[in-house]
Amino acid sequence: MRVLIQLRPSPDLVAAVADPSVSSMASDVADNLPGVVLDHSYAPVAVPRPMPASLGGDPLSLNQPLVFSMAPQDASVVVRGEIADDEVTSRIALLPAAHRDVVAVYADPAIESSLTCGGDPAVGDWHDVERLLRVPDLTAEGLDGSGVPLAVVDTGINAAYVKAARGHDVTVDHERSWSPQSVSGTPGDFPVDHGTMCAFDALIAAPKASLVDVPVLLSRRQGGSTLDGLLSDAIAAYAHLREVIDAQPAESRALVVTNSWGSFSPRWDFPPGHPGNYSDNPAHPFNLIVGSLAEAGADILFAAGNCGAQCRDSRCAYPDRPIVGANSHPRALSIGGIDTSGTRVGYSSQGPGRLAARKPDVCAYTHFAGSGALGDDEPDSGTSAACPVAAGLVAAVRSRWPATVLAPAQLRTLLRRTADDRSAVGYDHDYGYGVVDAAGIIAALRRRAAKAA
Amino acid sequence: MAEVLITVRLAPPATLETAMLRLGLTEDDVDTAYGLVPVDPGKNLYVLRVTEDAGRRVGDSDGGTADGGPYSDPPIEPYGPPR
Repeated sequence: MRVLIQLRPSPDLVAAVADPSVSSMASDVADNLPGVVLDHSYAPVAVPRPMPASLGGDPLSLNQPLVFSMAPQDASVVVRGEIADDEVTSRIALLPAAHRDVVAVYADPAIESSLTCGGDPAVGDWHDVERLLRVPDLTAEGLDGSGVPLAVVDTGINAAYVKAARGHDVTVDHERSWSPQSVSGTPGDFPVDHGTMCAFDALIAAPKASLVDVPVLLSRRQGGSTLDGLLSDAIAAYAHLREVIDAQPAESRALVVTNSWGSFSPRWDFPPGHPGNYSDNPAHPFNLIVGSLAEAGADILFAAGNCGAQCRDSRCAYPDRPIVGANSHPRALSIGGIDTSGTRVGYSSQGPGRLAARKPDVCAYTHFAGSGALGDDEPDSGTSAACPVAAGLVAAVRSRWPATVLAPAQLRTLLRRTADDRSAVGYDHDYGYGVVDAAGIIAALRRRAAKAA
Repeated sequence: MAEVLITVRLAPPATLETAMLRLGLTEDDVDTAYGLVPVDPGKNLYVLRVTEDAGRRVGDSDGGTADGGPYSDPPIEPYGPPR
């Protein structure tokens, strides 16, 4: 968390900071603040002291006529820094005791006025995403998704549409695809919708991956909308995917599972604390099967959701901590969204997560002109697009690095460690560990390969 | 909550029939089309979808014969496009 720290150092230091002809640095006035990473690019600023305009006024009240004193013995100084998100409460409480000059610590919220929101036009197109993901470099390394099954757990894929939109052949693995019993249709031949967008976006980084079509969101529960399913359908789908991965030979074991869906409302769930609850309960059968599939060698990615504070989806009904259930699973990657300018989209859900606090894990690209599956001028949007973009990158890695060589937990760590950090102190609840960085991944894999040789 | 989930541990070969027998459930209680779904093969753990009444009757939170549940079975929806 970025913070502003107000200090009252010696009057001569305050005078120096207030003097525009003197160049002052943050370290001159605020050295050794425990747990604070000072922003040395931010010059300290002198702040006047508000004082009652009349004798006998209340020295603590701001609701009266005031005068402002920049006299060195009155004024204070503000510096900027960052405190790790999981230490904010304790650090803020301890700072005034640990450093006698500290007067107060304030939040320094972002004042961005132009975060991308739902309904905004696309920011860049999918070729920009290709460039940002360094797809030519990945291809040169042999990381193109060849031979890797990539399961799109969604509303079904229309392969002909994806092929026409990409201008390249698309492989659907009919044998490994699976549908709930209530869903009729052929894998790769479902109506163009959300799942087709996800398939298109997954193939940006892994153009040669084999798509495994798993249309659980077409299960059409009674009384539901046309595009939703039940969590029990997802459990059955994951049981099938477990058979898929168990049937693979160990030397080429790989299965990437992308999930751009979740539960928007606590209305259909038992409350947190109830043993049958889903949102906060690692013992719920779906959370168990996610852990079990990851343990068997699958890479599982979930969208963080579109309940970001700046422009949340109107369906979001959790009052706080909207990354719930498996979308916050410790053995899955939770993916936030950024646009192609590198800025978090305002609807991307912020952490902490409910099963694991450090969610989202990383961010990937969304809100770009891509498949057109949601409408002619509709961008591929939501963390729904960011998740398969990241899943494609994971599938690209898996073409040379099967799960028996680089375990899913190691790959998750690799993505977090190489992510392009967007804060000064590592993890934050907006961007997670940062933005997925293909160049960093390639370099890390080269080092790993050299070490193994 | 029209239907809920319960879990049961069964030695192989596990079938829906053996699960229903073990739990004392009838076909009216169970979504037989959903069947018996393995959650973790290594732990012989399976899940069934049952009526809310049956879940309450056999769920382990009420001291029933199931090994877990009743658990919620909430609807799930695509996360895009943001509305």
